[in-house]
Amino acid sequence: MNTNYFLIDYFNESPSIIQVAWSISVVFFIIIIPLILYLKFLRGHLRKKERVTAELENDYESSLINYLYSGNEEEEISAEQQVIINQLKECIKDPFRRKILIGVLLKLKNEISGEIAESIHKLYFHTGLVNFALSRLKHEKWFVIAKGIRELKQFHVKEAHDEVIVHINHPRREVRKEMQLYMVNLFYFEGLDFLDVLETPLSEWDQIQLLEVLQRMENQNISNIKSWLNSSNDSVIIFALKLAKIYNQFEAKDELINLLHHINKKIRLESIHVLSYLNALEAKEILKNNIEERSPEEQIAFFKMMEDLYEQTDESFVVKYIHHEIFEIKVSTLKILKVLNRERFNLLKFESSEPKFLRIVNFIENN
Amino acid sequence: MGATTYQIILEIIHYLFFIYSIAAIGSYLVLAAISAVETVEYKRKNSFVNYKEIMSSNISPSISIIAPAYNESLNIVENVRSLLSNHYVNYDVIIVNDGSKDDSLEKLIEVYDLVQIDYLINEQIPTKPLRKGIYKSTNPAFEKLIIVDKENGGKSDALNMGLNISNSKYVACIDVDCLLLEDSLQKMIKPFLETTGRRVIAAGGVIRISNSCVVKDGKLHDVNFPKKLLEQGQILEYIRAFLLGRMAWSRLNGLLVISGAFGLFDKKIAIRVGGYDTKTVGEDMELVVRMRGHMEELKKKYKVAYIPDPLCWTEAPDNYKIFISQRNRWTRGTIETLRRHRKIGFNPKYKALGMLSYPYWFFFERLAPVIEVVGLFYFGILILFNFVRWDYSFAFITLAYLFTVFFSLIALITEELTYHQYKKKGTGFRLLRIAFLEPIVTHPFILYAAIRGNIDYYFNKKKKWGEMTRKGMTKA
Repeated sequence: MNTNYFLIDYFNESPSIIQVAWSISVVFFIIIIPLILYLKFLRGHLRKKERVTAELENDYESSLINYLYSGNEEEEISAEQQVIINQLKECIKDPFRRKILIGVLLKLKNEISGEIAESIHKLYFHTGLVNFALSRLKHEKWFVIAKGIRELKQFHVKEAHDEVIVHINHPRREVRKEMQLYMVNLFYFEGLDFLDVLETPLSEWDQIQLLEVLQRMENQNISNIKSWLNSSNDSVIIFALKLAKIYNQFEAKDELINLLHHINKKIRLESIHVLSYLNALEAKEILKNNIEERSPEEQIAFFKMMEDLYEQTDESFVVKYIHHEIFEIKVSTLKILKVLNRERFNLLKFESSEPKFLRIVNFIENN
Repeated sequence: MGATTYQIILEIIHYLFFIYSIAAIGSYLVLAAISAVETVEYKRKNSFVNYKEIMSSNISPSISIIAPAYNESLNIVENVRSLLSNHYVNYDVIIVNDGSKDDSLEKLIEVYDLVQIDYLINEQIPTKPLRKGIYKSTNPAFEKLIIVDKENGGKSDALNMGLNISNSKYVACIDVDCLLLEDSLQKMIKPFLETTGRRVIAAGGVIRISNSCVVKDGKLHDVNFPKKLLEQGQILEYIRAFLLGRMAWSRLNGLLVISGAFGLFDKKIAIRVGGYDTKTVGEDMELVVRMRGHMEELKKKYKVAYIPDPLCWTEAPDNYKIFISQRNRWTRGTIETLRRHRKIGFNPKYKALGMLSYPYWFFFERLAPVIEVVGLFYFGILILFNFVRWDYSFAFITLAYLFTVFFSLIALITEELTYHQYKKKGTGFRLLRIAFLEPIVTHPFILYAAIRGNIDYYFNKKKKWGEMTRKGMTKA
């Protein structure tokens, strides 16, 4: 008791700064104790969650395998399957269990194909899981919407098209990305129609993902890309340029050539790369006429193009650039000169004493 | 000077110390709060990402991993194998043997079937010349590997050689002994590819400590919590710094440091600013500050990104001698960088870089150990002259200690809620114990190293890199 009184007296008589210091210390002390307990609880909880997840995954996997092998040809759903569906319906009322069940369904779906995969798709509907995903599309939180779209994409629910497409210009990039992946995964090249009305930028990351999905498709009949090459959205043009290259869209040559004069430097540069890949000689002539006015990146890309599209008449043009300050241009022009006029190329070794230049000449001579 | 004037001066000194401490604590709390918001956002955003699609894509941009090596013969073969096991498709590995005196090159030639090749280098950054040349493997399995043997010029010079050699758009500069997780490159490249409207010039990742972890076939097999208190203290320190500090600076776009152990850079910008500075021991921080300054001067929108996922595991010092030497170097690096770029500091022309990041680093990183030691000396003098108010001292020491423990606990809880790397039973107790012991186990030595760093910087200019003895990771 005396100690308590002493402490209270000491506190009351201390200067206010000491009182503040001790008060904050007491607050920290009071917070630290529950933090320690929480940390202990958290670690235990996470371990338990991992264990329970593994157990549930095993259970669901067995149930699903039973479901898949207990069907018969006479009924759409056998009695035994109906029992499993009813059990699963009970499980999915709990969000944690629902999440695990969806994970197991997806795992199985990705491992198998044909009729069995189709059964899983049906089960997704019969259990009512699809309704949970659809209800997410109207949620106010962006990450819930994105999760909903992703799930509908993973289970190939084409019926949700109209509800998904409304998110085409959603303010969150993640929702837009999921919407785009949904469209392309389920509707292939037709799914790319969202590009016609896309107002927001399509990042390079998004573009790569879309192209990867498209390249995996069996049907490689690409839609007409000309309208996208004329889009007011620069990122759509850049994406269309990638499509033009991958799918050899030589028929869009005129639009591609027009893009050489686009206001956006990145688009001009990509156009050079694509036209170079398509061996468009007309582009070479256009670029030759105004190459000095273009950015260093465009100049480098142009001379790289020249390495494949040079003609004998280009010699005098090429020679003008063999001492260009940009390394890549020097290398490209020397490579071209070596093929066009070997004698003239050989003389370069005697005409110049600059070591760096001679090193490039020697390298090109030997390789 | 009268007694009253003396007292006023002392009062002012006391209040300056007090204000500094409150500002430091306040800044840590603010940064922790911002980090929490940013971490939640990051985790949510990344729960949608399918990294497999990017890593398998042949249209994803090319990355060169540049790893300088000096006398790494002991582990070089294993380390290279680990670097070659990344899941990203479009990448190559450039090992720059920086004039090693051991048999690193011979070992690499033998194991990876290397042959010398003719290679045209675009010498955009001056470096020490090649020694034996450039090698590539005749074995298609190692086609991504390029070995460069050059004269010794230090880590920065070796990295600059790698920048000259690389043909990729992006370069990942790493320590050769670091263990990169297989999906590290696709996670690091993501901010460069997904950001629209501004240019990402660099990205840094979390560095984790691999001491006691088990490595199998160049991959992290088992994460263990080390037994030595010094190693445990460093783990806690890294968790605190990366999860509660850098995450917030990333949100504020104010990151000044990307760890030299693993960082990804836009090669064009890195070369445009002249590459790594060979005259500093803090080359990682110096390059980032220079790149940022360059972008600010051009008035271009840019970002330095940060990935909180544990992507890179590295060996930390396991004895005090090496630990002090490492921290000494870090201190000198910080001083050098801040001094070299002092025109940025408190300069509104450089916006957040000049008015927020630089001042923070100056006051709470550069000056913190100095102020702490001055405080300790001052405390000693007060004891000597019997001027100490023990009630004050006791109250403030208790407060500082409890705050440190509180902050460490928040860091540990964040770690559990996000990445939960130390899962094994019994580790929880050791994590808690180190939260209470760390102020005694590592902090005094960090302080000592920082002061030695200051002394060496001003009075021992010849001192360069300290020594780091590698033991190698535990193999399964």
